[in-house]
Amino acid sequence: MTDGSVYLDHAATTPLDRRVLEAMLPHLGGAAAGGNPSSLHGAGAGAREAVEAARAEVAALVGARPAEIFFTSGGTEGDNLAVLGLAAARRGKRHVVVSAVEHAAVRGAAAHLESRGYDVTRLGVDADGRVSPDALADALRQDTALVAVMWANNEVGTVQPVAELAGLCEERGVPFHADAVQAAGRLPIDVSRVPVSTLAVSSHKLYGPQGVGALYVREGVEVAPIVFGGGQEGGLRSGTENVAGIVGFGAAARLASEEMGYRARHEEGLRELLLRGALALPGVRLNGHRSERLSNNVHLCVDGVEAESLVLFLDALGYAVGSGSACASSSAGHKASPVLLAMGRGEDEAFSAVRVTVGKDSTRGEVEGFLGAFSAAVSQLRELSPLYASS
Amino acid sequence: MPDRYNPQVIDHLVRPRNVGELEGASGTGESGDASCGDVARFTVRIAENRVEGVRYKVYGCAACIAAGSALSELVSDASLLDAARVSGVDLEEALGGPLPAGKEHALTLVLDALHKAIEDHWNREAGEMLVEGYGGLRAGTGGKKTVVVATSGGVDSAVTALLMKEAGYEVACVTFRLHDGERGSRSCCSPDTVLFARDTAHRMGLPHFTLNLKELFDRRVMEDFVGSYAEGRTPNPCVSCNAHVKFHAASFLADKLGFERVATGHYARVVEEPEGATMARPVDEAKDQTYVLWPVPRELLARTIFPLGEHRKEEVRRIAEDRGLAVAYTPESQDICFIPDGDYRGFVRKSVAAEPGEIVDREGRALGRHKGVVDFTVGQRRGIGVAAPTPLYVTEVRPKTGQVVVGKKADLETREVRVGGLNWFLPPERAGSVQIRYNGRPVPCEMEHAEGGEVVAHLGAPVFGVAPGQSAVFYDGDKVVGGGVVRRDT
Repeated sequence: MTDGSVYLDHAATTPLDRRVLEAMLPHLGGAAAGGNPSSLHGAGAGAREAVEAARAEVAALVGARPAEIFFTSGGTEGDNLAVLGLAAARRGKRHVVVSAVEHAAVRGAAAHLESRGYDVTRLGVDADGRVSPDALADALRQDTALVAVMWANNEVGTVQPVAELAGLCEERGVPFHADAVQAAGRLPIDVSRVPVSTLAVSSHKLYGPQGVGALYVREGVEVAPIVFGGGQEGGLRSGTENVAGIVGFGAAARLASEEMGYRARHEEGLRELLLRGALALPGVRLNGHRSERLSNNVHLCVDGVEAESLVLFLDALGYAVGSGSACASSSAGHKASPVLLAMGRGEDEAFSAVRVTVGKDSTRGEVEGFLGAFSAAVSQLRELSPLYASS
Repeated sequence: MPDRYNPQVIDHLVRPRNVGELEGASGTGESGDASCGDVARFTVRIAENRVEGVRYKVYGCAACIAAGSALSELVSDASLLDAARVSGVDLEEALGGPLPAGKEHALTLVLDALHKAIEDHWNREAGEMLVEGYGGLRAGTGGKKTVVVATSGGVDSAVTALLMKEAGYEVACVTFRLHDGERGSRSCCSPDTVLFARDTAHRMGLPHFTLNLKELFDRRVMEDFVGSYAEGRTPNPCVSCNAHVKFHAASFLADKLGFERVATGHYARVVEEPEGATMARPVDEAKDQTYVLWPVPRELLARTIFPLGEHRKEEVRRIAEDRGLAVAYTPESQDICFIPDGDYRGFVRKSVAAEPGEIVDREGRALGRHKGVVDFTVGQRRGIGVAAPTPLYVTEVRPKTGQVVVGKKADLETREVRVGGLNWFLPPERAGSVQIRYNGRPVPCEMEHAEGGEVVAHLGAPVFGVAPGQSAVFYDGDKVVGGGVVRRDT
């Protein structure tokens, strides 16, 4: 983003919108800077006002009331607070259901509960990465404390049938958490229509600053805190608020609400251009659902090529994309993506996955340039590969 | 350790050198596995011990691609000895410094692929020689101080290589692939052991080679091992290996490299007698391996050096520690190397159908039944499965009739032993004592020549539980006069 290369990894993080930066600056060093929202003096009151205005913007983005929005340090904290907090608030219920394709934040929190004696059911997915409502219905038990299924997948971009899944849980009286970190600002989310209990969002995935996010908690749903202290955020998330970050998040949420339709159409156009170009190469396949997918996500398996080398090769050619499956830094070598494995892909395929995610400011020229570089990188790496025989 | 790649890595990634496969290659090697995410393949053309051409291919992360490229540059047009000396550290240097954490395996992977290609070259050069046995035996005691050291990854062979290097020899290490040992097992010669032996050699700055002797080992050692049990003999696989495999293969490599001598980490000495090179017991009596070394052909012994014969085991460990060799703390290998779990009966039963038979006493009276002669060896007391007032011992195994003969301990007493398959270093007349067990004591003996070039040793004291198939080794003081195999009847 700063070295002049073309950035096509918006699922990892998005560049800060200039308008968001301008909204933040007064709170970083300008006239409004320095107040603690909890203080009684004027500076404190100013900070409080700014935080509450941002809360209203974030609430509007997902159709919530401001009192149902609790600021956090980001998506990971929101997911942890929801999973651990919902479980802790339901004594005696020792069963948790999560999908097999959740972000590591949810998977990790669920594994933590498992280590504390909870039963964890991990719902499988179909070849497109979707959870089946029937499978969820079968998994629910009398002692189920919560269900967590993400709104849209961070790797392969598949959108889950959240309305149906959340509705089912509502009928059974089981809290439902949705990780909407990738979906927020990209897909219309309206919690007044979709009966989720909690929903996690993150600022830096929608052109806001890093280090801030929010958890929506439906009124009446009990969530126990996991951080203790001064009782900020209604006692659910103690700690002095990240005022500038929250203001930026508010601005980013407002812009996302206003521009969502345009952004989605723009991204979809580029996504289809990307897909057509990439799939025209032999041995390249799309992962995830063809239509029920994020507007900006293209996730590919490239036969005969290992993801890390492809990503670094493209980086050297001036294009930043994500590897679908990070090569873990352990002496044991690689770790295949659990998402692709859950979708029934083999390990060799999981090692060959790359993720290209466009953004609202990506251009046609960038995508076309990328396709040229991609084709060149793939053919050179295949020439190197002892496993790929060009036919 | 950095968490990002050096620019040199990215340069090799984007502009890899020597990509492809050589036409008319003299060796091909592959390492890795698609399901692990990394595969490297090298092809080499070697002529007159120079790497004339090298090409590589890699499927894997940037580190693997770059390491393969850098390695191909380092060995291109190098002498084979220099190519075999290139270490992970050399590779890292060529790549601009340490790789990110967790990426070091890339160095091991591409080195292994190259070394397997060189191994393939040797095996093609050898043709049937490393299957049938290497016959080109020569003493190799010319003036050049050059030596091939057989290394296993253990402390003894590593110190052997070190001592030879410090004695001013040009050293090349070789590790043999003898069988498909289980990965990571603590016995010798498993795949991880090869990597470890290579790394140890490289840390000493020495070239390292591997030779694939699986067919030869299977034919000369494992088949004999299994067959012996089926025939009621007690085999010693280390003896068969020393007779036909290890020293021959090391000599083959020495001849190919134009090297004079061969060294191993055995505890024994080679001494000059008027008759020529002779084997003698080592300084460390507790580690004496002459009992399994007797079949080494005399021509090969003449070019062999056992530097550890002059040292005690504690000294060897101390040398390894002082020089910082990582092998210093490896455990002693005790088991039969191709049976890491020690269950040799189970191993034999996999290859030989065991037929039930009779347990009889010396008068032929049936005492019970057994599940197969392979479960019995002469001198055995446990697991006979027959109740008796005094302890019963196996005194004889008769595979032809399927009978196992049992008796009292006194029935095991032997006062004469017929020995065949002899290998002499000194005139047989010089034999003053004979040893019939690995950890046994030599007993005085008098030699009588028998027909077929065999001998009968009249023992000055009774020996218990002598089994056909065991080695009988003759000594004159601490010198090995010769050795042979105990025959069934005297």
